[in-house]
Amino acid sequence: MTLKRRELLSFTGAAAAGGTLGFARRARAADPIKVGFTTALTGPFNEFGEGYKRGIEIAIEKINKAGGVLGRPIEIGVMLDDQLIPDRSVQNMRRILDDKSIVGLFCPSGSGPTLAVIDMIAADGRPTMNPQAQTPTVIYPNGPGGKPRPNVYTFSIQNDIEANFMATLLAKKFTRIGLLNESTGYGKTGSELIKAGIAAANKDAVVTNESYNQKDQDMTAQLVRVQRARSEALMVVGLGADMAVIRKNMTRMNMTIPFFTSAGGLSPPYVEGAGDLAAGTKGSQFKKISTVPPAPETKEFLDAYKAKYGADRLWGTDPEVPTPSMGGTVATGYDGMLVMADAIRRAGTTEAAAVIKAMDATKGFLGCNCAYEFTPEKHHAIEIGDLTTYEFVKKDGRMTLVPTAI
Amino acid sequence: MEDFLTLLLAGVSVGAVYGLIAIGLNLTFWTTRTMNFGQGSVMMLCAMLTANLIARGWMQGLAILAALAVIVVLMVFTEMYTVRPALKIEGSMGWAVSTLGVGIILQGCAALWFGSQAVAFPDVIFSAVDNVVIFGVHVSLQYIAVVVLALALVVVFELLVRGTVWGRAMRAVAMDQDFAAVIGIPVRAIVLGSYIASGLLAGISGILVAQIGGTVDPAFGFELVIFGFVAAVLGGMGSTPGALAGGIVAGVLQQMVGGYISSAAQHGMAFALLILILVVRPQGLFGQREINKV
Amino acid sequence: MIAPRTVLTRLLTHPAFILAAIAALFFGCSWLSGGTVQILTFLMLNILLAQSMNLLTGIAGQISLGHAGFYGMGAYASGILMKTAGLPFVVSIPLAAAIGALSGYLVSFPAGRVREFYLAMMTLAFGLIFREVVREWDDLTGGAVGLSNVPSTTLKNLSVFGVTLDAIDYFRIVVIVTAIVMWLVHNFIQSRHGRAFYAIHASEVAAGCLGIPRAGTKRQAYTIGAGMAGLAGGLYAHMIGYLGPESFDLARSIEVLVTTVVGGLGSMAGQILSAIVFTFLPEKLQVFAQYQFIVYGAILAFSLILLPRGLAGLLLLPPRFIKPASLRRAGTAGVAIRPVDSDRNAALVVEGVTMRFGGLTAVDDVSLELHPGRITALIGPNGSGKSTLVNVVSGIYQPTAGAIRFFGESITGLPDHRIAGKGLLRTFQDPRLVPRFTVRENLLLGAHRRYRTSGLAAALSLPSAVREEATFLASVDAVTRMAGIADVADRPLESLPYGYRRLVEVGRALLAEPRAVLLDEPAAGLSEAEMALLARMIRAMKDAGLMVLLIEHHMDFVAELVDDVVVLDSGRVIYHGDIEGMRKSPAVIEAYLGTSETEAAHA
Repeated sequence: MTLKRRELLSFTGAAAAGGTLGFARRARAADPIKVGFTTALTGPFNEFGEGYKRGIEIAIEKINKAGGVLGRPIEIGVMLDDQLIPDRSVQNMRRILDDKSIVGLFCPSGSGPTLAVIDMIAADGRPTMNPQAQTPTVIYPNGPGGKPRPNVYTFSIQNDIEANFMATLLAKKFTRIGLLNESTGYGKTGSELIKAGIAAANKDAVVTNESYNQKDQDMTAQLVRVQRARSEALMVVGLGADMAVIRKNMTRMNMTIPFFTSAGGLSPPYVEGAGDLAAGTKGSQFKKISTVPPAPETKEFLDAYKAKYGADRLWGTDPEVPTPSMGGTVATGYDGMLVMADAIRRAGTTEAAAVIKAMDATKGFLGCNCAYEFTPEKHHAIEIGDLTTYEFVKKDGRMTLVPTAI
Repeated sequence: MEDFLTLLLAGVSVGAVYGLIAIGLNLTFWTTRTMNFGQGSVMMLCAMLTANLIARGWMQGLAILAALAVIVVLMVFTEMYTVRPALKIEGSMGWAVSTLGVGIILQGCAALWFGSQAVAFPDVIFSAVDNVVIFGVHVSLQYIAVVVLALALVVVFELLVRGTVWGRAMRAVAMDQDFAAVIGIPVRAIVLGSYIASGLLAGISGILVAQIGGTVDPAFGFELVIFGFVAAVLGGMGSTPGALAGGIVAGVLQQMVGGYISSAAQHGMAFALLILILVVRPQGLFGQREINKV
Repeated sequence: MIAPRTVLTRLLTHPAFILAAIAALFFGCSWLSGGTVQILTFLMLNILLAQSMNLLTGIAGQISLGHAGFYGMGAYASGILMKTAGLPFVVSIPLAAAIGALSGYLVSFPAGRVREFYLAMMTLAFGLIFREVVREWDDLTGGAVGLSNVPSTTLKNLSVFGVTLDAIDYFRIVVIVTAIVMWLVHNFIQSRHGRAFYAIHASEVAAGCLGIPRAGTKRQAYTIGAGMAGLAGGLYAHMIGYLGPESFDLARSIEVLVTTVVGGLGSMAGQILSAIVFTFLPEKLQVFAQYQFIVYGAILAFSLILLPRGLAGLLLLPPRFIKPASLRRAGTAGVAIRPVDSDRNAALVVEGVTMRFGGLTAVDDVSLELHPGRITALIGPNGSGKSTLVNVVSGIYQPTAGAIRFFGESITGLPDHRIAGKGLLRTFQDPRLVPRFTVRENLLLGAHRRYRTSGLAAALSLPSAVREEATFLASVDAVTRMAGIADVADRPLESLPYGYRRLVEVGRALLAEPRAVLLDEPAAGLSEAEMALLARMIRAMKDAGLMVLLIEHHMDFVAELVDDVVVLDSGRVIYHGDIEGMRKSPAVIEAYLGTSETEAAHA
């Protein structure tokens, strides 16, 4: 109890001090513009958090080298680690929201934690970039097509976009399709949207939908069901490591039907886990980031990344061309930061309502993944045209993703 | 029919590994009425070390032996510095927290050394493409190998427990520690031995499961140990054949429910079976009814 | 000099301090930042969960590995009831607690037949099934995507009686609820119910023989514990407004267990300290970046070595299990033994009882009778079946054959607590007391079967409950004087020498106001002086008209006291009569000389 009291006192003290300092700071023009976020910096999902953190840092370096925004440098004011545990995201985000000197925010790396904090963010009203969560309800609480939360913008591939993209392609070629999803928000919404998309594109299509838990070590039961339904192709919505388990399992069962994965599957953990078995796996991913030769704005980012981290795990196996999943892990953070800074510059102030108004007027801003455009009704940017299909191919002794047709 | 056989084989194979995990949990439960809550991390560490050493160019057998050696050292440490002190404090449940703590430390270390992402586990005996066709059904040699290895281990283990002085001493400790100490059995060494053996079984199970799944990451093992618990209770805590049978029942049930009813109900059904057994036959399929000692 | 632990304990448990702390939280929160208020709300929920786990694990000795399931039941129940069914907050929260309690009750269903470890497995399975069901039942729970838009302070759509609550109002509600629940639990623990929980924890058999039903008590512990967790869950649901299955996984259950163990099992104050540590720890650990797992793990792995009894053991005195208010009112007018009314049927009749374990016959066709005001000695060499017979009569074993009648009524095969409930009490060869209880608390345990007030009355600390407890405390006082242990009455039993424990155990049987007492080697290991005290107690029992069965090897002690003697050998009665006759009986002499000479002379 004494401990609690001391804590209490120190908290009140800190809060009071923070308040006055914040006020004093706002008066000075050269003070940095601060952004804040909580994400998985450690723990099993840290590649996502670490990735977008790097993206934001590289973007900030670029902006500050060019003199900052409104004559002020940008800095990361608060960066907290939630390991993608929803309760921890909530506590961290509340702490960040308490800090009134923070101008802009970024959402956590996954759909669950993001959904847990999104109402809090919406109630707060400060401009918020969502770099990675794919569930559409993060942005559009009443589903895609509805009104977006006014202050939240997504830079990730929204599940509905990806689902439409894959569904159309699949429905064109196959009438019997096996669909597997991980039992998370991402997997479930993804597969439901794909199912709907396939049904819309081809009324006669038969879809067998099964689910698995992340980190399941054996998927025989699910695959047997897909096989029994005489599916001509298998599409999985999930993450790379599980995808490798599925691929190996298919091989053991001598299942040779074409294998498709969501963006989450076309990632380094899949190739590492599945090895040569990955060859022939197809799926959708960001297009622009892996386009050869890269667009100037993409090249600038890639050069900066390579100078700082080299062609590392997130970059992929080809030292010249980054793997497309880098668009999701790193570039969404980079683009999000650049677009926000641009909006602040256009708004001429860091005041939330003005920045949001400027965000809503974003048009043709060239980022690494697409040309960004937001309106008061549309808060996502990546569209079907910004995705493409890739296939794993063994080239010079290593697995690489090459653009392909389905 | 082909579906059925495929499901059966996968179920038996995964279930046999559950059984191995369960036997490992049983061992320490016999000797000290404790269980290593960090057992999942032991599985993980063994598999990750093996994968890492092989990736560095070690011979497979050597890599496995080296990983198991590390596990032995680790279990000695666990027993001496976390379980034994915690057991001195009667009724504190301290062992649950301290073994869990060691498990979390291992997870942290593995993330630090090998990264927190999944790493590929090499094909040790067969690869996923190795199939034989029996009666027109494709049977994966990987599954067969896992089943054979697991069964062989259980047989060797039973022979050791039944046939050797150490095995008998361990059973005496399991019956009554005080009495065992009085008749001159080195109880502390037996308890330590049970932890080492438990760790070795976990480590080998880790390698076997990694063989099936193909990847390991620092959080690997946690869910598997839960099924180890299910297997141990299904078979009756303390019974080795029971643990194996419990594991296989759980494994096959999972596949059958998943394959014929719903893949969403796959895991829930295994846990429901656990509850059913506890309600209907708490001593498990093979366990003896406990008699209160007064 | 007063030890710091004493000072700290007195301060922390002082009503004025507690009220001041609650007031400080209640009024002080308006000056705190939103983040601090929110984390303090989390702290209150963690305290509730830790108290719930403490009641179950620390007090009743039952491990739960599925607390997140109970917590989640409450959270989803309240969330769904409010969001979908439109129930008001003041209804949905009690319902959350009720649904949590119901799930706890159902999980403990096999409590009568399985031991603690298996019940832990039940909870584990429950927690895992809960997670699976929540994840798959999309229509009800929102499935893996989660349940958004639950009325909450975040969305400003949570109102009570037309007043919209903000985070600070909500925190105040949570503080008050937590304080009230803790007050109730505190009263409950310091009543015969809490002591019964602890008795089950220490020894199920001994508890049963005092009339404490083991299955019922365990079920009660699970029900109350799960109810508290459900309440915490209900309060959680409306804090954030989003419920996702990840918040209720096994890791959360383990977190609660860890909090409770590190806090110090049994100590309510320790739980608060531990909840504070584990609520703020993750945030503080973030500075360790990738090392935080290792640091957290190290804290768990080694905290129990540094703090064997948890934080409470380090900082505080052990908790006590009698309300000070009752102690103050106890008075000194108690009676140690009340004379028993006798009637025609007053006898314990054992008729042809046989007990076999597999192929071994431990008791073979034994018949004997006990009568009011008479002391019957049961003697025989080791392994002759004396203790087994007592175990059969007291209901621990079900006899293979034969009948037992008490006051004309058959008690054959009844469970031990029912037999104790009829006034047939026993002691054990190895004293089975609660080591961490004081002498007074242990004695009071004996009175369990005589209490009439309900658990609710005890939790509310109603005057009737306090008065009742005070009455029994007066009897405890009288017994301590009679047994010569008045000066150590407030010492924990584990700190006392062996002889005292024997006396306490016999005294405890007296407090049950027994009509018959079976004493299993009560004089073993006693000093001369202690033996004299014991003899005084046994004579007092005889004088009060109790039936007494005395198993004893110490012949001088037996000879002084007994009226009848029954001698057993290899499970059979070989002599029945007075002590003089026994000394001359050839069968008895042979039995002793034939087996072990030292046995008869054994002190």
